[in-house]
Amino acid sequence: MTLRQPEAGPVSAAADAGGANAMFLSSDARWEMVDALAARTVSPGSYEPSLADVVGELTVRPLTGIPVALAALYAFWSIFTSFAGTLMTDGFMVKIFDGYWLPWLQSVWPDPASWHYFIFVGNPLADNSLEAFGVLTSGFFVSIGVVLPAVLIFYLTMTILEDSGYLPRLAVLMDTFLHKIGLHGYAIVPAILGLGCNVPAVTATRILETKKQRFIMMTLLALFIPCGAQLGIMMAVIPESVGIVFLCLLIGFGLFGFILSRLIPGENPEILVDVPAYHWPVKEYVAQKLWNRTKAFLREAIPFVLFGILLVNLLYLGGVIPALADLLEPVFVVWFGVPKETAGPLIAAFLRKDLAIAQLSNIPMTPYQLVASVVLVTIYFPCVATFVVMLREGWRELLASIAVLLTVVFIYGGMIHGIGILLGVA
Amino acid sequence: MKHNSRNTTIQRTGPVSRPGTIYSLYIGLLGLVTLGFGCADILIWAGASNGFSWGILAISGDDFFRWAWGGVVMVCGGLLLLSGAAHAATSLHQAAKAAVGVILVWVIAGTDFLAMLCAAIPAKASSPAFLNTLDGFLAGFAPPYTPALVIFPFTLGLIRVFRSAVHR
Repeated sequence: MTLRQPEAGPVSAAADAGGANAMFLSSDARWEMVDALAARTVSPGSYEPSLADVVGELTVRPLTGIPVALAALYAFWSIFTSFAGTLMTDGFMVKIFDGYWLPWLQSVWPDPASWHYFIFVGNPLADNSLEAFGVLTSGFFVSIGVVLPAVLIFYLTMTILEDSGYLPRLAVLMDTFLHKIGLHGYAIVPAILGLGCNVPAVTATRILETKKQRFIMMTLLALFIPCGAQLGIMMAVIPESVGIVFLCLLIGFGLFGFILSRLIPGENPEILVDVPAYHWPVKEYVAQKLWNRTKAFLREAIPFVLFGILLVNLLYLGGVIPALADLLEPVFVVWFGVPKETAGPLIAAFLRKDLAIAQLSNIPMTPYQLVASVVLVTIYFPCVATFVVMLREGWRELLASIAVLLTVVFIYGGMIHGIGILLGVA
Repeated sequence: MKHNSRNTTIQRTGPVSRPGTIYSLYIGLLGLVTLGFGCADILIWAGASNGFSWGILAISGDDFFRWAWGGVVMVCGGLLLLSGAAHAATSLHQAAKAAVGVILVWVIAGTDFLAMLCAAIPAKASSPAFLNTLDGFLAGFAPPYTPALVIFPFTLGLIRVFRSAVHR
């Protein structure tokens, strides 16, 4: 195949003159444009496909591509749990924080009955950093001991998938399903990015073409996609129930996506994707992306975690959270089937959802209540950083998103409780 | 969504040679074993047995993620190997199907190995040390192994088949 310089002609002139309007060409018109450009610039020659080419082709066909997607997601999760859970958090961080950091703070901080001890060290009887819930104990353990390894390995695997050329193939493969919920295949990019952090994921919704698509994706992200920090803390708090929580979120994603795509007016056009050949990621690019993403995440995460614990502890000391728990008791206990004390973690969830899940571990609950509470915290209001990014996308969209969000939390939370009652577990 | 990739529908087939038949048999056999192990992973997880152990092989079936989901991936790998077995040494398309099957087995084996490695590096929770001793580290790789790890060495021989499919 040889390429030669394009000559000025009607097609290139249309592209130049069209400018931004070229974005609104139908997909058929775009294909015609591509064909016309290719006819003018490409001289066909003989080409022998390689094994990698045919393997690449197989990974976008449903019959062979779906097993590969299942294996890729399996690898993604398995690497995540082995590295972040087994090696870093359980292997080293728990030992550092529970064996050295917490006992040292408890021994040097004066007056365990004081308000400052409660805020900074937390419960004086706690024997682990997760349950102590002080700014310097749970705050550092959650952000450095749990979230940092989780985010690091998430972004590494994500970058490798992206740079190897697999992500565009996954987009092609997921297109049929995502069209049923008003999106197209490339919505898989913000969805996977959201599993790391919802902040870049909301920004990534800009790759979607219409307002309808962006609104649906932003709302579904805020509702049903747990971030890497949440995943890490879920593994630490409810390792045996993470699968059930994911199932609830996946069903909600499909169900409410389908409903939103029917209710919201607007178009859901086709897009063109150029699928690159598979290639080995360049390690310098991988390292640079990993560094940029992790740095941005930590800059945003650590202050919010520490501030979140400080605020929640102050609200507890001021009696605000117990009062809110009493006020919201009918909703929490009767409608959602969870203890009224869940009000505290839900307030913390506005700052950091990982922090809220860590806080749930301190409340006595049945296994059903724990799973239902974790699902509620996940689908409840987006964390404040995501909120700010959503606001940047437009205040009308944000308000509409919040209205949908509150409705969905109420309906879906009640539905899960109803299913729990029918199954005899609630 | 339409995707634009190079046309790769060319198939190069030729007369089936004796080594080609042996390769096909080998891939078919490997596919059958992989399929059987995948089904066993799922059945044991579903409660058909309390676990299985034979020689260096063990299936505990105690975790949905590893045994049910991982089992489905193994089943798919076995089916793809079986589907690509015929003419794998002479047809690029058939070789590619077998290659995808092998890649699925490698994914499971690779993640199983990583899980062993990550569990072997830190010292036990009861120990005051952070890093495991050398003996403790090496003991982490002792048998029994998962089915994917047992099959893994036998899949390496297929690299030769894939190379021959490319060069013919």
